[in-house]
Amino acid sequence: MEYSNPEIPEGINTSQSHPLKEFLWLTSSVMVTVIAIFAGLILLVDGVTAYIPFSAEKNIPFPEFAAGEKEGPLPEYLQSLADRIVEVESLPDEMKITVHYLDDETVNAFATLGGHVFFFRGLLEKLPNENSLTMLMAHEIAHIKHRHPIKSLGRGIVAGIALSVVSATAGDAIIESFLGEAGSLTILKYSREMESEADETAVKALKSIYGHLDGADKLFEVLKEQSGSIEPPEFFSTHPVTDGRIEKLNTYTKETATQNLNNITPLPAAFNTWIIESSLPDSEE
Amino acid sequence: MIDLIIFVSLLALGYGFGRHAEKKHYKSIIKREKQYSSLPALTAKTPTMLSKPNDSHLVVGSVVISVDYFKRFISALRNLVGGRVTSYESLIDRARREAVLRMKAQAKEMGANLVFNTKFETASIYQGRRHQVGSVEVLAYGTAIIPMQRG
Repeated sequence: MEYSNPEIPEGINTSQSHPLKEFLWLTSSVMVTVIAIFAGLILLVDGVTAYIPFSAEKNIPFPEFAAGEKEGPLPEYLQSLADRIVEVESLPDEMKITVHYLDDETVNAFATLGGHVFFFRGLLEKLPNENSLTMLMAHEIAHIKHRHPIKSLGRGIVAGIALSVVSATAGDAIIESFLGEAGSLTILKYSREMESEADETAVKALKSIYGHLDGADKLFEVLKEQSGSIEPPEFFSTHPVTDGRIEKLNTYTKETATQNLNNITPLPAAFNTWIIESSLPDSEE
Repeated sequence: MIDLIIFVSLLALGYGFGRHAEKKHYKSIIKREKQYSSLPALTAKTPTMLSKPNDSHLVVGSVVISVDYFKRFISALRNLVGGRVTSYESLIDRARREAVLRMKAQAKEMGANLVFNTKFETASIYQGRRHQVGSVEVLAYGTAIIPMQRG
């Protein structure tokens, strides 16, 4: 009897499929599942944050270094404008808006936890009329009205936890930046839906204050111009594409029958002086 | 962020080197299997027919192959979704065939023309240690039949 080992064909005990194909299939299916789970979590968080009372937001300590200027005609004017908007946007009584004016060149404005709304000199000095300033402020106050800061905080924490599954340090860094003292103020990012919702509310507020939307588009023109510069400020990274916003505003304007170009409300006569004064170093000391 | 970069580099490194090593290894395995086709390895406990006087000797072939990071990652994903762990299948297949080839190489050196009662042992090195890239040892052993030289 003769013994022999036959030549066994390849691919019986092993798979001939390309390992990268398997890798892609596995990672994508796991990713899709993980994303679906976290999308569900975000929906849950959105649902839960709506029930967090606004008073809880106010209890979050506010860092003094970010308070900005409170005294003087400019902050007082801004606060009075805010109070008018609060009335037309019919915010609940407990939602108190605190306006902060920051003497800085940053072209930005933002709303954050506890009803604090920040305006930078860099943006204010570019606005040509009161209508655009009201549009800006009504937009930021609308964020507060719709509880966007707390929703964004909730989403941020969920995103951080989700990311820490992949990368512990990156996830921790995000959670830290959201829950850290300064982070809770500045890191909040609003989704496009939130921005559109805020725009919509702001437009309604503008209509009830002035009866028209003329002049408000100047705000978006300023933002658009700014976004063309080499270093776009953070403001633009999450805000809807400015072109689209101007377009939307134009359609809003068309919807209102009264379109009078001469009814733009100017800023207070001393507005520019206030801004210049605020940026001068304190000479009294 | 940095650990994500490290992770992706390790994956790429594991894939690049692992894939290259595997292709090279298979080429060599297939070539040597043909070379040793005249020296069969049997699993039968006793050879059925031995007409001439023979010497017999224990022959052993052992190999240790390491898992690469890429294979390990794929198997970790397989832990979640189930299914064939193809990345480990080729690893074990290579180890088994290499072990037999080394055993045959030893037998050939002794002048054997047959190996019977071939058996395998498998051992996992680093077993149970987390975050360690594991290796597998496959040991093939059998009894080589060496025809006696008539002096």
